[in-house]
Amino acid sequence: MRSARNSRFILFFLFVCLMLAGCWDRREMDEIALVMASGTDMTDDGQVELTLQIALPIGMPGMLQSSGKGKNPFMTVSEKGANVHELIGQLQERLSRKIFFGHRAVVIIGESFARHGIDQVLDSLLRFPESRYNSYILTTHGVSAKELLQAPYQMEVIPAIGMKTLQTGGYGTAVKIDEFLDAVSTHEIQPFTGAIRSSMKEGETGFQIDQTAVYRNNKLVGYLSGEHLKAFKMMDGQARGQKLTVRLEPEKPFTKGTLTVEFLHFQKKIRTFTDQGRLRTEVAVHAAVRAVSNDTTLDLSKPPDHDRAERVLLRELNDQIVGLIAQTQKDFKSDVIGFARELHVQHPEAWKKLKKGAWLQAYPQMDVRVNTDLNLERIGRTNKSGHLLE
Amino acid sequence: MMRIKAKRTNASEQSIEPLKISGDLKVNEANILAAFEKCSDLVIRRFSLSDSITCLAVYLSVLIDESQWNEGVLEPLQKWDSKATENAVGLPERLKVILPFTAPPEILESLEEVVHRVIYSGVVLFFDSHQTALAIPLTNQKHRQLEEPKTEAVIRGPRYGFVEDLSVNLALLRQIIRSPQLKIERLTVGKLSKTDVAVVYVEGYAVQSLVEEIKNRISKIDMDTVIESGYIEELVRDHPYSPFPTSQATERPDTAAASLVVGRVLVLVNGTPMTLLMPITFWYGFQSVEDYYMSFLFGTVLRWLRFLFAFFALVLPSVYVAITTFHQEMIPTSLALSLANAREIVPFPAMIEILMMEATFEALREAGVRLPRPVGQTISIVGALVIGQAAVQAGIISAPIIIVVAMTGIASFLIPHTGMSQVFSILRFPLVILGGTLGLYGVSAGVIAILIHLSQLESLGLPYLWPLAPFNRAGLEDVFARAPWQFMSKRQQHIQLRKELEKR
Repeated sequence: MRSARNSRFILFFLFVCLMLAGCWDRREMDEIALVMASGTDMTDDGQVELTLQIALPIGMPGMLQSSGKGKNPFMTVSEKGANVHELIGQLQERLSRKIFFGHRAVVIIGESFARHGIDQVLDSLLRFPESRYNSYILTTHGVSAKELLQAPYQMEVIPAIGMKTLQTGGYGTAVKIDEFLDAVSTHEIQPFTGAIRSSMKEGETGFQIDQTAVYRNNKLVGYLSGEHLKAFKMMDGQARGQKLTVRLEPEKPFTKGTLTVEFLHFQKKIRTFTDQGRLRTEVAVHAAVRAVSNDTTLDLSKPPDHDRAERVLLRELNDQIVGLIAQTQKDFKSDVIGFARELHVQHPEAWKKLKKGAWLQAYPQMDVRVNTDLNLERIGRTNKSGHLLE
Repeated sequence: MMRIKAKRTNASEQSIEPLKISGDLKVNEANILAAFEKCSDLVIRRFSLSDSITCLAVYLSVLIDESQWNEGVLEPLQKWDSKATENAVGLPERLKVILPFTAPPEILESLEEVVHRVIYSGVVLFFDSHQTALAIPLTNQKHRQLEEPKTEAVIRGPRYGFVEDLSVNLALLRQIIRSPQLKIERLTVGKLSKTDVAVVYVEGYAVQSLVEEIKNRISKIDMDTVIESGYIEELVRDHPYSPFPTSQATERPDTAAASLVVGRVLVLVNGTPMTLLMPITFWYGFQSVEDYYMSFLFGTVLRWLRFLFAFFALVLPSVYVAITTFHQEMIPTSLALSLANAREIVPFPAMIEILMMEATFEALREAGVRLPRPVGQTISIVGALVIGQAAVQAGIISAPIIIVVAMTGIASFLIPHTGMSQVFSILRFPLVILGGTLGLYGVSAGVIAILIHLSQLESLGLPYLWPLAPFNRAGLEDVFARAPWQFMSKRQQHIQLRKELEKR
């Protein structure tokens, strides 16, 4: 009898413990402010400015149609200060609902802040238990994060969802927070993020993600765009579906003289050498492409024409890759391609000396040779250009 | 409470003294009248056989078949050769042989037996200067037509169900299993109701010790009245306080017969079409006899569907509450936004919403069962319109809650056996409270507690989760899948069951 009472007593205390474990973070869906995106800028006087884009469920078209009309589906709040945690506290004082980072889709770093260097501020933004590691990280180009987050976007109810969808679509460079933090915390590869800029064309307000922001350690050093960006994506393993356009012959009455191919297959092999302390790297690229548009008089089914096209394509691809590597070495001095990773694997002894920051100096001086091989594997359904008369 | 009832029964029984039948008809008549005092349906008829021997016929007019009484007893007796009655010695014995009845008449000696026979719809004949009486069973066969069982309808399969009459039910079983191996043992339960109970099993298939155990438990039942098989179900259980059914009530003869040949024992109770199958396992609650009539492919898929939806029926509301109040980061963003939108004007916490709507749903269901048909339509209109739509429009309940509750409701109807279905509807509520206070942690703790309870349950010595735990591969062929008949002969199943039961 006594032991039964004792065990009941113990059970009661165990139950009380259960209560302690659960109730503290109980909150209803309408008691939280769903942060969809956060942005960090640096003001001219060196303060940090934090901007949050918060979804307003009541403004969303849905069941409550009457209340949804004419209301903004999102709001942005921003605050300046020195310490991010205090900023969040100040923002919370203005918001009747608990700030909730669990659904943050994108983390935006303002260009000014990125050039100054992303330090502990980023860490304090990411260290929340509810913060997601699979949200995307973006760097602005030519615009502050605050302006970007305040602008409406026609396509989606909440702009942050548009940014996220653009990233998942694989059009631009898509980097998730965990990948970014990995890169920041190692010397083996330098961090990079997608670069977002606002687009204002014919009254359309919005943004586009068509560049890549390159970092050197924790500082923004520049943006990759155009052909170098294409080459970068290929080297980053996103070659499938990339297109390459080359001029094969001068413009003629009916043809522009260009050939466009799409990459089917792209393989890169990096070999590093440490000849008497001098670093040397050979990059072997093997690519397979198919023709998607032939605006020339050439007949790709004929070996001479086919070979000629291949030669031009090869030269173009090689130039792009060499150009990209040159840019990262000379302009950015940042190893975003990740040569160091290969160096670490292939020459662990040499890497031991280099990883303590020496690599940052060594990379721009490294001799890189590129060997490219390209096969035009498929020529499409027609031989000559479709619109050419026999 | 039962003890008090039992005492009272003893007191009333003592009023019928174990009297011998007297040679004097007047004494007999007086005794009978005393026993059946104020029973207006008692008929005592005096007539004489061939003008020489006075007879006394005693019966309850409401119980016996009057036409049979007239044509089968009175007329032959009146036409009887008067010479035969001259020698009155051994008259009841001679009549017993002569009277043309399917059910044989019996010779009675004590008055107690007489009362018993009269109650059991018989006619008792007393003869002047005889110390024995003749009981002729003249049951008025009043039973309804065989109808399709309403609670266990099938698309494919026989369309008739058990009725309230025990002998008809036994006949139905005999018609399916035509073998003398089908054993029917009769017991009587209830001091006042004297309910006929039949324990049915197939010899060689059912484990004999199990049959003895069931008979033993039934004979130990100490109650005044046993009106329905539910009384017996509750009183023979191993775990009387568990919500999970450890025996299965069915009104389908095919279900019953199919269970008999896998070694289960059937208990039929006179006065109800619901017969009891035991022992059963947890999985049995998810099997329908139709699984075996369909192609094994559909049978298997249907079982998976039932398991899936049974799981939904159990945890969907609690998981919804847990996720929306504790783990919002688990919801896809767009869903989170629309959930937040739906909750915007709702005053109550999600847990209260769910509890309110689940209770309302259960109430609607119960109302639908009890209400007379014409009123039933009103309930569905009130239920669907007022509670479903209006509550949402008025902003009392958020729309996702209605979806969750409706889904759970449908899911619980997917469980073929009502006993199991009820368990899932009841266990839902504590889980919702756990989910609303402790989040997913509480839900999983609750589910684990249910699992622990299930694994220690037994149905007459058969582990409730068998053949999963303890594991039996051959037995599993009929749990998560319905194996094709080529691979799974039912004979095998009964051997597995027997092995498991004989371990104990």
